[in-house]
Amino acid sequence: MNEKTPGAVITAIASVSLVIMVFLLYFLLQEGLPALREVSIRELILGFDWYPTEEPPALGMAPLIVGSLSVTALSALIAIPLSIAIAVFLSEVAPTWVQEVLKPALELLGFLPSIVLGFLGMVVLAPWLQESFDLLSGLNLLNASVLMGAMIIPIVASLAEESFQAVPRELRDASFALGATRWETIRKVVFPAALPGLLSASLLGIMRALGETMVVLMAAGGAALVPVSIFDPVRPLTSAIAAEMGETPVGSTHYHALFFAGLILLAMTLGINLISMWIEKKGKERWMA
Amino acid sequence: MSRKYVDRLASAVLWTSAATLVIVLLSVMAYILANGAEAISWEFLTQPPRDSMTKGGISTPIIGTFQLVLVSMTFAVPVGIATGIFFAEYASAGIFTTMLRLCVRCLAGVPSVVYGLFGLSLFVIFLRFGSCLLSAGLTLGCLALPLIITASETALLAVPQDFRLASYALGAGKWQTVKKVVLPAAMPTILTGAILSVGRVAGETAPIIFTGAAFFAPNVAKSLFQEVMALPYHIMVLATAGTHIEQTRPIQYGTVLVLLMVVMGVSSVGIIARARLRRKRK
Amino acid sequence: MAKDITAIEVTDLNLNYGTTHTLKNISMRIKSHSVTAFIGPSGCGKSTFLRCLNRMNDFIPSASVSGSVMIDGRDIYAPGVDVIELRKKVGMVFQKPNPFPMSIYDNVAFGPRIHGVKDRTILDGVVESSLRGSALWDEVKDKLHSPANGLSGGQQQRLCIARTIATEPEVVLMDEPTSALDPMATAKIEELCRQLKEKYTVVIVTHNMQQAARISDDTAFFLMGDLIEFGPTDRIFTSPEDKKTGDYITGRFG
Repeated sequence: MNEKTPGAVITAIASVSLVIMVFLLYFLLQEGLPALREVSIRELILGFDWYPTEEPPALGMAPLIVGSLSVTALSALIAIPLSIAIAVFLSEVAPTWVQEVLKPALELLGFLPSIVLGFLGMVVLAPWLQESFDLLSGLNLLNASVLMGAMIIPIVASLAEESFQAVPRELRDASFALGATRWETIRKVVFPAALPGLLSASLLGIMRALGETMVVLMAAGGAALVPVSIFDPVRPLTSAIAAEMGETPVGSTHYHALFFAGLILLAMTLGINLISMWIEKKGKERWMA
Repeated sequence: MSRKYVDRLASAVLWTSAATLVIVLLSVMAYILANGAEAISWEFLTQPPRDSMTKGGISTPIIGTFQLVLVSMTFAVPVGIATGIFFAEYASAGIFTTMLRLCVRCLAGVPSVVYGLFGLSLFVIFLRFGSCLLSAGLTLGCLALPLIITASETALLAVPQDFRLASYALGAGKWQTVKKVVLPAAMPTILTGAILSVGRVAGETAPIIFTGAAFFAPNVAKSLFQEVMALPYHIMVLATAGTHIEQTRPIQYGTVLVLLMVVMGVSSVGIIARARLRRKRK
Repeated sequence: MAKDITAIEVTDLNLNYGTTHTLKNISMRIKSHSVTAFIGPSGCGKSTFLRCLNRMNDFIPSASVSGSVMIDGRDIYAPGVDVIELRKKVGMVFQKPNPFPMSIYDNVAFGPRIHGVKDRTILDGVVESSLRGSALWDEVKDKLHSPANGLSGGQQQRLCIARTIATEPEVVLMDEPTSALDPMATAKIEELCRQLKEKYTVVIVTHNMQQAARISDDTAFFLMGDLIEFGPTDRIFTSPEDKKTGDYITGRFG
């Protein structure tokens, strides 16, 4: 039997990922860039009017971009501190039996479909917000950000917990042996040592929030406006794509503009992903030294 | 004694945040269970929707979701395992391996709606499959691929080196060693990885909206080139696009509960199986 | 030299890990300002016993301790004992050098800082005297603010000793401190142990009998959780009373 053949076949199949990545970039560029033939890049990115079905269409994505960034920022603000608290709890404080229950539960929570969260935002959170704060609609930036926070807590908390666990046991021992309390050990030894991992975990959570669709599609209100308060509705890039692509003629300027929105999303998430990879590498190098 | 006071305070805060999470989680689950349970009946699970989806059951979306999972896994599992084998057994340090690793990591971070755009332009339009089960399934498969690759590679690397050496010492070649020794040893762990990716795929909505999910389909798809209803998309349709949004609330809750049971059920199986395997290894 | 003052008095100490009886009825009197070595084959309980002396075993949930360990006239296992104060008084150096991933200065200043010293001049003084005390000062005085991870293994271990004595303990526990070091670095640490007893009571666990013979005043031999023999090092190594001690020392097992 020829020993070379299976290796070649395996390598060929492995290249499928490469092919998918190349096709993904190719199609987004091919379908997204034509938008620039009809609208200047300046207007596309900095324009404040998104009326894609008017004649002629106004395709300014600034409100969509601001929408994406505001939901992401607010949800990160809610979720990251809580996630890190939970990770510290799981790694440093919780008794073993609590760990054994809570860790799988947290992981399971990560599988919660985003449509379910979006649905809860519509039927539970929105009416409550509307009544409590006397609003016209409870579907807004705050609603979507709270749910998005719930969406990324399992991701950030699990990864953060892993980076706490990666801190060598010996460092904790050394700190305790010097008479430090548990909190002092966490704050002064474990936390600084885990910091690169925590940064990377937070970035991956932020990346997930930027790209998440269903939660914002259902709970963010959908108005293509730049929000001035947390009770304003927003229309992030992802929800614009999901809501409008179905009703857009293939090849129209609007169609190309939505692909361009996809390109913006891809660029932002890839950028964050690369930064987090770089931080992880730096963190590992620090341990090697 | 203020140092000790701070220490106790910190512990209290940490316990509280974990407890809050658990309480919120449990009450949300209880709420969905309470509202969804009323809708669920034998008829609900086995009948297709009727009367503009205001009555009847959700059998077509349930079956559609299973069909989508099946198509996506048929693509992603073999390709994912092969890629895992490549990384764990065949990859040599070099530009190709580095690029491939970078691609897998980047694919894992691509937003699901961007996968939808990719599926639309490649499968639906360029390959002329149209909006159908095949296009949507393959799109979901691409999304699941990085998960299965990572799970497979980790599982293969966990197989002790001694197994390989023993096999080589008996005169086995590389592929024979991989096929007869390494892969069987890693297979249970790889399968739990695949199960977990089923949990992820079954709940996805954004990638299938414009690649193959039907607003409504009277029948179960009989070929790969028909559109299918799917549980997550069905929830979205009923909750946002129907003309009877308030009237169909019970159906919506019921569908949410069924989706949750499917996704959480599958994922729990994966998580528990993996925990068992890890314990066995120790 | 007040050679015969008792630093630590252990009476009937028992320790169980779950259902395993790891330490059985240990009693001993450790003399102040001396070096006491614990020897015995691996798994004999010597490291576990060492960790009983500053209650580092508290972190193992399944461990339960009975008996008493008197330090400064107080039983450290009595209810209401401040473990923080205890560990400040009874410092510990570990098997593997474990400097924090911070600068050399911050490593040494860690203990004083958590115990409330903020004044920069005082900290500078403590850092210098501790590093001198661990014979590291001359090697690092020009790079106090560079990362501790950049030091060699032997230097890292001496840094850990400096970090321990910076809290001004009475007792320094050492858990096989040279097992990860080369012979040159080991010789330096051994030399240091002999100097440390001028100011501190040193208790050292070692798997190396020559090391115990070279540096210790008293030696305790452990076997399967029992304290077989305890006495002046010269006597233990020349005329052991128990046959098992003799067998171990002459290398018949272990």
